[in-house]
Amino acid sequence: MVYAEYAWLIPILPIIGLLLVALLGKKTPEGGGYFAVGGIAASCFLGVMVALEYLTGGSSEPVSGTMTWLQLNSTLKLEMGYYIDSLSAVMLIVVTILCTLILVYSLGYMHEEGERKRRYYVEISLFVVGMEGLVVASNYLEMFVFWEIMGLCSYLLIGFWYYKPSAAAAAKKAFLVTRIGDILFMIGIISIFASFGTLNYRDLFTHNFIAQPVDMTLLGVGLFCVFGGAVGKSAQFPLHDWLPDAMEGPTTVSALIHAATMVKAGVYLVARSFPLMVHTPDVLLIVAAIGGFTALFAATMALNNPNIKRVLAYSTISQLGYMFLALGAGGYMIATANLSEAAAEMGNAGYMAGMFHLLNHAFFKALLFLSAGAVIHAVHTEDMRLMGGLSKKLKITSFVMLIGALSIAGIPPLSGFWSKDEVLAAVYNAGSANIWFYLLYIMGIVTAFLTAFYMFRLWFMTFKGEGKEATQHAHEAPRSMTVPLIILAIFAFGTGFILMGPDGGLPAVIRTVNLDGHLIAGETLGLGWIEKLFTEWQTWLSIVVAFSGVGLAYMAYFKKSISVDRFATGGSKKVYDLLLARYGFPRAYDWVGMKVVYGFSRAIDFFDRTVIDGVVNVISRFAVSGSGVLRKVQTGVVQTYAIVIVSALSVILILMYLLGGLR
Amino acid sequence: MIDFTPVLPAMMLGGVALLVPAVRMLTKSDKATGIASLAGIVASMLLVFYWFYNGSHMAVFENMLRIDAFSALFMLIFLFVALYVVIASLRFVDGLKHTGEYYALVMLATAGMMVVAMSMDLITLFVGIEITSLSSYSLVAFRKKDKLGAEAATKYFIIGGLSSALSLFGISLIYGATGQVNFQAVASAVAALHGMDPVLILAIVMIVAGFGFKVAIVPFQMWAPDVYEGAPTTITAMLASGSKKMGFIALFKVFIIGLVAIKADWSMMIGIVAIATMTLGNVIAISQTSIKRMLAYSSIAQAGYILIVLPIAVVGDPTVAQYGLAGGIFHMMTHAFMKGGAFIIVAGLATAALGEHINDYKGLYRRAPLMAFAMTIMLFSLAGIPPLAGFASKFVLFSGAIYASNLAGEQWLLWLAVAAIINSAISLYYYARVVKYMYLDEGPKDKLKIAPAFGVAVAVCVVAVILIGVFPDPFIQACQEAAKAFFLP
Repeated sequence: MVYAEYAWLIPILPIIGLLLVALLGKKTPEGGGYFAVGGIAASCFLGVMVALEYLTGGSSEPVSGTMTWLQLNSTLKLEMGYYIDSLSAVMLIVVTILCTLILVYSLGYMHEEGERKRRYYVEISLFVVGMEGLVVASNYLEMFVFWEIMGLCSYLLIGFWYYKPSAAAAAKKAFLVTRIGDILFMIGIISIFASFGTLNYRDLFTHNFIAQPVDMTLLGVGLFCVFGGAVGKSAQFPLHDWLPDAMEGPTTVSALIHAATMVKAGVYLVARSFPLMVHTPDVLLIVAAIGGFTALFAATMALNNPNIKRVLAYSTISQLGYMFLALGAGGYMIATANLSEAAAEMGNAGYMAGMFHLLNHAFFKALLFLSAGAVIHAVHTEDMRLMGGLSKKLKITSFVMLIGALSIAGIPPLSGFWSKDEVLAAVYNAGSANIWFYLLYIMGIVTAFLTAFYMFRLWFMTFKGEGKEATQHAHEAPRSMTVPLIILAIFAFGTGFILMGPDGGLPAVIRTVNLDGHLIAGETLGLGWIEKLFTEWQTWLSIVVAFSGVGLAYMAYFKKSISVDRFATGGSKKVYDLLLARYGFPRAYDWVGMKVVYGFSRAIDFFDRTVIDGVVNVISRFAVSGSGVLRKVQTGVVQTYAIVIVSALSVILILMYLLGGLR
Repeated sequence: MIDFTPVLPAMMLGGVALLVPAVRMLTKSDKATGIASLAGIVASMLLVFYWFYNGSHMAVFENMLRIDAFSALFMLIFLFVALYVVIASLRFVDGLKHTGEYYALVMLATAGMMVVAMSMDLITLFVGIEITSLSSYSLVAFRKKDKLGAEAATKYFIIGGLSSALSLFGISLIYGATGQVNFQAVASAVAALHGMDPVLILAIVMIVAGFGFKVAIVPFQMWAPDVYEGAPTTITAMLASGSKKMGFIALFKVFIIGLVAIKADWSMMIGIVAIATMTLGNVIAISQTSIKRMLAYSSIAQAGYILIVLPIAVVGDPTVAQYGLAGGIFHMMTHAFMKGGAFIIVAGLATAALGEHINDYKGLYRRAPLMAFAMTIMLFSLAGIPPLAGFASKFVLFSGAIYASNLAGEQWLLWLAVAAIINSAISLYYYARVVKYMYLDEGPKDKLKIAPAFGVAVAVCVVAVILIGVFPDPFIQACQEAAKAFFLP
């Protein structure tokens, strides 16, 4: 292990870049952006080397190193360190590569921002630090620290154009809504500490539940709260509504939030906690149910939204739902397997599917966002109704975006197809353990259809049809923007094929992550497995659904043989408006915020002002006025000082007598 | 043959101190003189480091002096203080006369503090204190033509003389009652007395007054604001971070080791004095208009926090006592950096022609952004805001009081923690006010030019404060080691 010992450097390197930007940014071109790119590229190199070294090392033992952060007595010991296993290795590859590409893209995209560029590069570097630190962290507390850093940066970056009221409001919303999750996460951490007396992954994941039983109710509540943290960060129902608004930030920030950082942190948290969660099947059922419902729920809101970035935002929420669904289904299978090897193997497949979908989604969603950024850069609007016919002007962009759309729609052989299919297969298999999973499976299939439809609606509306006024002067983006797009397109096209690597390739490595006591020497995936895949009816169902979604979009938005305006009027108008109003969730949030929280705060405020402040005011008035009086004692005359000393001697003598000295 | 190695760091510093005026005379360069002093300090520091990592302890001169983890840690702290004081002085005393003597006195004062850290009996303790005191009287008076400085030095000298007399009287009373001067021997003699000797009570009062002057505890604090304000600011930094710590070591050695057997007689009295000290310091600090006086009162308040260690470190449970003492040592360590750093910043800004009135700090953020940032770090650390050093050390210090209050018969110690926490809250008011002035209020627009030497000295303190705050553990362990060594016979 040459590189792994330096894994702690991964989040440090962007900090160096950040400091250079902060100190020298004013005097260097692009507001010091090259320092930020340099810092992140260096951490990317190290991260990829660490990950490759670990994954090709052949050992399934995690590599970790810790130092004591704070030890006050024998029970309260907090540590800091790094923890590399197959999960964090794969996350490192995804996160560092994507962050680097997005930062390079930023150089072009943010070129016209002027003075504010320095702030942008400082904040975005810190954002990357948060995510990388979260991935390599060796315990929950350390993870929480980086988790909060990321929360702060998301606030700063979403509100980057803070002079726009909508951006300021969106930043506030993102911060407050994810905060609910953060508090739950913290309660979860405290519960885990109370259950096990440690927060280190190494100790937690090797805990022997038979030799040292823990309170399963407390653990269940704790893990439920941990999942609550993931719900907030990954924008799952009912804390999903901040993510569409978060589009107010620069598109690069949206890409970063959606593809590599932030929302992926929630999925990573659940995957990280998987070895604990497999002991609490109820929590996993909730994970799957929330995931499955959110997938469908968010997909419906994407159907008629006219804003290109918001459609992508809903699709992110929906795809994240898939990941939670797969993790929940897989974990549930393991939790209820009762040592049945076949069932546990299916459960492992679910875990693998969730992480594999995360990997694929990271690449195609980054591609889609950055392409959307290139479009917006060209036409200076985000409203798709004002776009059209751009495929002639933005040849590269339209082509790479098509790849992204095909991938997310699940058209074989692009990456999205493989992982989505595995997610659905895992959920279907879990149906044998609990009947509810069949319902979730149907939701997943419907979501797949809707996904294909709205993605191609987006693509046709943007790139095909008649050109509009806004598109007259559109031109292709500069090379610093198109090159990352092409690289991402290659990934989005090809990451599915790593399944066919030796022994099932990368996803199979993830499959064996940390499932201590549940680890089963899986059958080789390889080509034989693919053959099996294509002989199952579920696979063909998902292919048919995907193609019919694309077909419907083609009819409606390219051929115009189906009039879409019909849905916006008449009887279905209510549904149409309901979707546009996001099922009334923003209003519900406001209502909760205004009526419940604000009312409660007013009550507390009253108590605070009258009782607490009253006491504090009395004390402080005493302190301030006493200060003035006592100050006058300080005469500045040295004789007084000597007198005070001598009389103080007598006072102390008397004091000691009173306290029982001279018995 | 006497083995001089344990006292080598202090001897070497004293030797260099004697050579420095000669360097000044030969080279006629202030800069070369300063560099020579720095070399002496760094060399002495390396020697202590060597001892610190060897970890063994060794006594010399018939057990009059001893180097161990405790004294080595404090010698390091004192040398660090001397280091940044000298670095900052490179620019501060530039152009003044007698710079050779200035540096020599700084080093002699430090050597005296090192002797106190190593002392094992009352005589060496007193000698060490006097070496430091006499050097610092002259340093405070260093700007002879400055009225304020001359006045401050006179006051300091008169009150200092009175205090020396009182503490010497106290020491002689202890000797008279026990016939011993070695701390351990005094301890066993006092324990053998069975019952209270009124002479010892008088001795306790005299020693509290004498050493309390150095530490500036209430009611022996009145000289401190005047002297801190009048002295050259670099010397103020040394008084607040070095000399004050020396007074604490003296109190620790006499009370925690020597007079532990009669703790019932003094521990509650010290507790009351501690609460009075922190409260008075914080309350008066609120109404100060000079930043140096404000920092002086805050320094008095910090002394009150550290003073709660005395009753904690004599409780029956050795682990709790050791933890409590470690908390005190840790807070003294962090205080040396944050308070010293704050004074160095004031000195640096003063050489850039900024006044010492708090109003002069308005809008400093635009005039000297890095200095304003460093000052904010120092003030927040003093107030105990995480993740800065002051938070970590206050946490350990106050939690020591809480642990100790769980022991039978020591419940009253909880009130020390309560008082300290309330006082910390009060102190935030005047610290945050300066930050508000620097960042939120409008002031003059012209940039201030800060000499690089100050930048270096301030950077040392800022790095230390942040580093200790973020990774407190190695420092806490070092303080635990020191506390352990302190209790060893």
